[in-house]
Amino acid sequence: MLLFRAEEHVDRWCGQRGVPKGAAFQLAELWRLAQHWYDDRLDHDWRRKSVAERQRILDSIGLTGSFWQIDGE
Amino acid sequence: MTASHRSDQDLDLDIRLWIYRHLAEHGSAPSALDIAESFSIEPPEVDDSLLRLAKEHDALVLVPGTTSIWMAEPFSAVPTWFRVHGADDRRWWGNCIWDGLGILGLLGVDGSVETRCPDCGWPIRVQIQNGGLQDATGVVHFAVRAARWWRDIGFT
Repeated sequence: MLLFRAEEHVDRWCGQRGVPKGAAFQLAELWRLAQHWYDDRLDHDWRRKSVAERQRILDSIGLTGSFWQIDGE
Repeated sequence: MTASHRSDQDLDLDIRLWIYRHLAEHGSAPSALDIAESFSIEPPEVDDSLLRLAKEHDALVLVPGTTSIWMAEPFSAVPTWFRVHGADDRRWWGNCIWDGLGILGLLGVDGSVETRCPDCGWPIRVQIQNGGLQDATGVVHFAVRAARWWRDIGFT
């Protein structure tokens, strides 16, 4: 996941490298996601979140749709 | 710390947390020798635990073919394009912009993530202050669909 100056920079970078454009969104959403995704990493009994748990976090941020479906993992 | 662990599982959990605390405090991953000395165990036991943490628990990513720590998400043990500065003067490396912000969120500290636009090289600084995003500019791009994030975590 990379941070670009603006969306036209995403388009140009993808085009020059032949990388299909994925999902582009604002930092505010990413900050919300980042706060929830790793919140248990300093717990002693940490275990990897299940697919359902991770999906719920994405859903709660509003990251929905086929691009954000984890269950094909 | 003493080697009074009941099982591999107990040892792995203790070592995992110790690695995370080391990364949080120092910004760098401990060596296998550091871990062995802290837990009063032999280096091969450390290697075995690191391999279990990577392969069975998905808790670490190791440099391929080694037991050297590459990632303990959101931390990177190697320099990246995502330098994280804590307001308390600690420094870390994030694996990506998500992880850079994830470090500040995990530790509950204000600070910033510095990177450059991959397209034009323009420096971008994302500031977290009082727990909130400040004057954020920039667009996040995920190239990889969520279902494929863990197939090649280095690329993701």
